[in-house]
This record gives sequence, structure tokens and C-alpha cells, in this order.
Amino acid sequence: MLEWVRSGDRGREFEETALVHLDVLYRSALRFTHNRAEAEDLVQETCLRAFRGFHRFNPGTNCRAWLLTILRNEFLKRLKRAGHEVLDSDPGDHQKDATSITDDGRTGGHPEEELLQAVLHGDVDRALKALPLLNREVVVLADLEGCSYKEIAQIVDCPIGTVMSRLSRGRAQLRQLLARLGREHGYVKESE
Amino acid sequence: MNCIEFEARLHPYVDGELAMSEMAAAEAHLAQCVNCRGAVERARRLRQLLRRQPRETAPPEFRAMIRTRIRRSARVAAIRPWLVGTATAAVLLVVTLLPGLRPGPSLVSDLVGKHITYAQIEQPAEFASQDPRTVEAWFRQRAGLRVTVSDYSPSGIRLVGGRLAETDERKAAYVLYEKGHTLMSVFMVPASARGAELSGARVSYRGHDYLTLERRGYNTVAWTDGKAVFGLVSTLDYEALLECADRLRLDRAQRSGA
Repeated sequence: MLEWVRSGDRGREFEETALVHLDVLYRSALRFTHNRAEAEDLVQETCLRAFRGFHRFNPGTNCRAWLLTILRNEFLKRLKRAGHEVLDSDPGDHQKDATSITDDGRTGGHPEEELLQAVLHGDVDRALKALPLLNREVVVLADLEGCSYKEIAQIVDCPIGTVMSRLSRGRAQLRQLLARLGREHGYVKESE
Repeated sequence: MNCIEFEARLHPYVDGELAMSEMAAAEAHLAQCVNCRGAVERARRLRQLLRRQPRETAPPEFRAMIRTRIRRSARVAAIRPWLVGTATAAVLLVVTLLPGLRPGPSLVSDLVGKHITYAQIEQPAEFASQDPRTVEAWFRQRAGLRVTVSDYSPSGIRLVGGRLAETDERKAAYVLYEKGHTLMSVFMVPASARGAELSGARVSYRGHDYLTLERRGYNTVAWTDGKAVFGLVSTLDYEALLECADRLRLDRAQRSGA
């Protein structure tokens, strides 16, 4: 009934406002899926969804956070479809953070900083991959993409306090994983 | 602040997210606690390590593919509105009366400008009435104009009233409607002179052609019936505008046939 023969005004505006964040979407999708083809498919779907819903985006507000929210929701939907239950509530959200400064700082008698020195390229990727999704996403957003707590809270749809506790847990877990990998490399550096 | 209290604030502190009100106490504690200083140092090192990670970018061919998909989608997707903010929405029917006027993008821009102005004033209608016939009568008595005022109430678009206005030496009549709190403008130009030279993208709706154009975040739909040029301006979506346009076109055809 409606024939739309139209130039890409909307498309252009979308490109200028939203597609400038394509790299962030791409990196985040890779961190979510650990698979390039899946990540690209996810980003594509995210962009099309965002474009279709662009009238709901409030100009002047944070477009990156808006896009990342769509990306995340799309990813979670796919996980659900595939039968995963990754986002069952994180028990840690309601507990006091188990990691204290003292046990955080040492690993098996080695000063952890020395072990972190031995972290090789690729270790961070592997360690991040091993983190639970809820902790991984906040670490990725805060430490790799430089998002503020407020942005992260918007993207992952939870209170800032929850962002902080997940970040604290995620970083502690990451530190331990990296230290472990670093310890391995401390002896077998040629392995990577 | 003691170690346990600082520990709870370690990450916000390192991330620069600690409330200003807590900053002094945190600094004071750090100044006298070597353990917590160590914890801050470790947290910073980890942060630096993560920030140093190579930042992958989307491959150029992937970027190009996304652009192509978006452009294609822009051409074929169902028409959706460019809602600007949560602006109030009234519907404004504008009838421009000066014969010989050549309607083009500047006319549409003027009307959009008027529309924005009226959207901001408390009583945009010079003559307020919810009855189409009464508003038509007002235009006839006030300026000797035969203006067709359609009734969009079945679509939830309420008539607010009418207004006569000057737009760049052109006399224009507006009929104001509102849907909830959303705004739209329609205009009419007697097509006595050089005919309609409307610009915009062509859209066919229920067998009639319309031209659409976006100005300053507002959607506009314009058309001509040979005797006059009409247009609508609003933050309402194109489907709603085209529906209104179709109604007005039918109403006018009916009147002239009667």
C-alpha cells in the first residue's frame, strides 16, 4: 500500500550518529560471542534494529550506550534461543564481595605484579573469555571501552551498585586468571 | 575511613567514580595506609594492562556491507517517524493563500518554522473550535476563504482550531489539530501560477502521489490536486500524515463534487 521511493536521508543521519560507533559494537560483539562470523551477524542485526528504531533514540543522549544496549539484548536473545541460561541471576550480586584486598594481592606466594609482568599477548583475551558473562561484560565496558559506571548501568540494565560489585568481582577473577597464565609463562615463555 | 570502608570504594576510586564528598576521606586514609596504597597500585596496573590491549576495528568490507544494508533498509523499510524528543504534538493544517506562489523546499521550511513556533505557544489557535464546520465558517467569514477542514477524530486526531498568518508576505491559514501531544502541519497553495513545483521524495499512497521531505526533524507531506497545493508538517509518522492527507483529499473531492 505504501511505496517508499526515497533517498537515504535517514540512512545518512543514522550513519553520522550511530555508525560512528561501529568499532565499539564490533569489539563488544567479539567479546560476547568469541566468534567472528557470529559477531558480525550480531552487529549487523544490531545495526538494522537500531536503524528501524532510530526514531526512539533521543538525540543528544548517549548513542553508544543505546547501541550497546541493543547489541546486548540481541545477544541475550540469541543465547536464550540456543537454550543457554547464562543470565540467571548472579549469586554474587547479593553477596558481599568475597575478594578482599589482602587475598587479592597475592597468588600462591608469588607477588602478583611479577606474574602480571609475564602476561603475554592473547592472555587477556583468554582470561576474559573465562570470566562469567555478567562480570565479563562490565570489565570489558569499563576497562576496554572506557565506559562510565552510569553508561554501564544503562547498558546492562542494573543499578550502579551492582555494576560496581560485578566490576570488583570480575577484575579480581581476571587478575587471578592472568596471574595463573603469567605464572605459566614465567617458566615457559616461548609457548605463545 | 578504615581499610574495610576503603576497600568497598577501591574500584570507584581507581576509576575516578568516587563521589567528591568521599574523596577527601579516601585520600586521608590512603596517606596513612600502605596496604590500601598497594591495592590502588595493583588495581591501576591491571587497568593499564587492559587499556593497552589492541583495539580491534571493524574490517572495511564489513563496514561497507553494513552501510549498504542500512541504505537499502532506508529505501524499503516501512515509513517510520523521526520523533524529535518527546515534543508536544498537535496537528497543524496550514493553507497558504497567495496565488502564484511557487511551493518548494523554502515554503516547506517556512511552514516547518511556523509549526515550531505555534507548537511553543500556549494557544496556537487564533480561533478555537473542535467542530470542522465551525472552523470552515470562521475562515470564510474572516478572510473569505473556502478551506476544507477534515475531521480526523476517528483516528484520535483532535481539531483545535484555525489561524491566519503571514509567512514571508504570504497569507497563510492554519488549521490546528493535536494527537495526544504531537504536532503536524498541512498547507495549501492555490496552483494558479506555475503549478506545483514541490520537491521531496515521491510516495504513492492509496493510488495518489505525495512528496515527502524532512526538515528540522519534522516530517512533511505535500501534494497538489491541480487547483491547490497541500502539505502537512508534524512529528507524527508518515503513515499518519498520509492517512490525513488522503482524508483531506477525499473531503475536498466530495465538496467540489457536491
